Amino acid sequence: MQIIEEIKKNRLISNPSEIQKLCLDKLKLNPLPNIKSELWRLSNKSKFSSFLDYSHKKKESKVSFPYKNTSQNIIRLIIGENTFINIKQETYSIRQSKDSEIVDYIKKNISAFDQTDHWSDLLNHCLSSKKNILGLNISGNKVPPIEILSASSSESFNAKTLILFFEKNCKVDLLQINLGNENSSLSQTTYLCLEEETSVNHGVVSYGKNKSNLLNSLNVLQKTKSEYNLGSLHCKFNYARFEIRINQLEGDAKTIIKGIQITKKDEQIATYTKMQFNGPNGILEQLNKSLAEDKSHAVFEGTIIVPKIAQKTDASQLSRNLLLSKHAKIDTKPQLKIIADDVKCKHGATISQLNEEEIFYMRSRGLTLEEASKLQLSSYLQEIISCIPVSKDKWDLLDKLLKEN
Amino acid sequence: MQSKTKDLVPILEVNNLFASTENLPILKGVTISVNPGEIHAIMGRNGCGKSTLSKIIAGHPSYTITKGEIKFTGRDIRSLEPEVRAQSGIFLGFQYPIEIPGVSNLEFLRVATNARRKFLKKEELDTFDFEDLVKEKLDLVKMDSAFLSRSINQGFSGGEKKRNEILQMALLEPKIAILDETDSGLDIDALRIVASGIKKISNEETGIILITHYQRLLDEIKPDYVHVMSEGQIIKTGESDLALELEKHGYEWTDNCSKQL
Repeated sequence: MQIIEEIKKNRLISNPSEIQKLCLDKLKLNPLPNIKSELWRLSNKSKFSSFLDYSHKKKESKVSFPYKNTSQNIIRLIIGENTFINIKQETYSIRQSKDSEIVDYIKKNISAFDQTDHWSDLLNHCLSSKKNILGLNISGNKVPPIEILSASSSESFNAKTLILFFEKNCKVDLLQINLGNENSSLSQTTYLCLEEETSVNHGVVSYGKNKSNLLNSLNVLQKTKSEYNLGSLHCKFNYARFEIRINQLEGDAKTIIKGIQITKKDEQIATYTKMQFNGPNGILEQLNKSLAEDKSHAVFEGTIIVPKIAQKTDASQLSRNLLLSKHAKIDTKPQLKIIADDVKCKHGATISQLNEEEIFYMRSRGLTLEEASKLQLSSYLQEIISCIPVSKDKWDLLDKLLKEN
Repeated sequence: MQSKTKDLVPILEVNNLFASTENLPILKGVTISVNPGEIHAIMGRNGCGKSTLSKIIAGHPSYTITKGEIKFTGRDIRSLEPEVRAQSGIFLGFQYPIEIPGVSNLEFLRVATNARRKFLKKEELDTFDFEDLVKEKLDLVKMDSAFLSRSINQGFSGGEKKRNEILQMALLEPKIAILDETDSGLDIDALRIVASGIKKISNEETGIILITHYQRLLDEIKPDYVHVMSEGQIIKTGESDLALELEKHGYEWTDNCSKQL
């Protein structure tokens, strides 16, 4: 684990920034996450080691969006490659955040970070250079769709950070693409801050190539009357981990999370979510799906925290999983931590194989077993894909990814 | 009982069929023959094996044929996959049509219709041509085109599900249709719509097997033959007036036939 050795020997970065210094200090004593903790115990050790085995010092190669732009009206940004953005229109504005805003924000977060809970973020901030941190302040209720690409270079470890501040009454569709190139590791940390009465439809599509790894951390803060919808797809990584932490700061907000992870061969993809309600009348609707083939392993652990202050919370969390091979494995653990006494919270998990009666029904109409299975799988994915804020017919890449599964 | 059309090659012949599921025998020697243009009704108590017979003819993988044969247009179909049976013209109308969330009804109907058309060496239909065809067939069962954009049977009422089955039958133009309790759960108007649809689809070349408990469907579609099943066997066969007798006396009336077998 090349990177960990460098942290231990204090040779990770030659000229660390203030943030990097802070994070290195936090990691120096315990550079690795606690593998006995709930958050890490199912992580495949050898795959996790391979995640940390690439060099972060190699020159990054240029990347481009993996699909065509079908509309002039989309704002596209690549983390690490866009030097400056400042758009001011009548109905919206997007401006690059000031360095001081970014530093203050990250510093504030780091001070509250627990090494186990936020190990992924601490590592990201150790390695993410100023060039690879993109911060935007977005306002207006007619913001064009925004697409942001983050990618790793082959044979490298790359860390990218995205911070988006959504001002009051802002409404936006945001698509984030995390692309893992061959033999590489990508650490992506994202912060979204939703002010009052904002509405953000957020799509996260992460897909890798041969032996690519991903550590994807998403931290969302929601103020009152905000609505946050997340639709995510993770697939084709040797090892991937998607950590989602959402905090409804004062309650009276709505969160919808729909995600799917598809594992094949011997891949491991895990999703960890932590939903914190810190005020009354909060709403959560969450559906996480896993689809595991071959000898792969999918993991989902979701926690909903409802303290006493969060009365009248209405939360549901469902984990639905499909095992397509007897050698594949799925671990799922939805859990509730409730102290408030006037709440509606439900959770559940199912693990099943393709429904035989559905398959027979389709075969009895002349569809082959393969056609029926594909149609059923496509419907299984569709429920999540439809929540990603780009229609799949307009998006060649997603269409291709779906056809391959 | 002699067939009315004895000179024709039967569309379907089931000869002395024994079948089981999970080592539990269900069919114990069923024999039935359906010629082109004939309508047969199968009646019998719950659990007597009517639905099992229909599923076995359609090729349901949960059942094992232990003895006997099933011939479709003279060919033994026991080893054929369900989709090959469907493509060649066997249609099963389900007692409980399956809901498949997320799969568009329209897309499903198009793929199914094209599978049958391919078998018939007809040109496959693209989305636009198929929409024209399906709209024409929707009229047969008085269904709204809004049903096409929904997931298969999801959120459909009992009557809508049954009408969707008949719509599928109309699109697939089968040689033989086995309709398993198509009348159950239908109100009088819906029953008439479904019965009228079935009558319009059937012709001199198709055979129909109606599995039912009630005379009311047979008032709408008069069968040529009525068979009574009990404990995995056909214990009595007659013409359409047999159904009236059953309606009058109940299944106890046929119990002696069962004992004599």
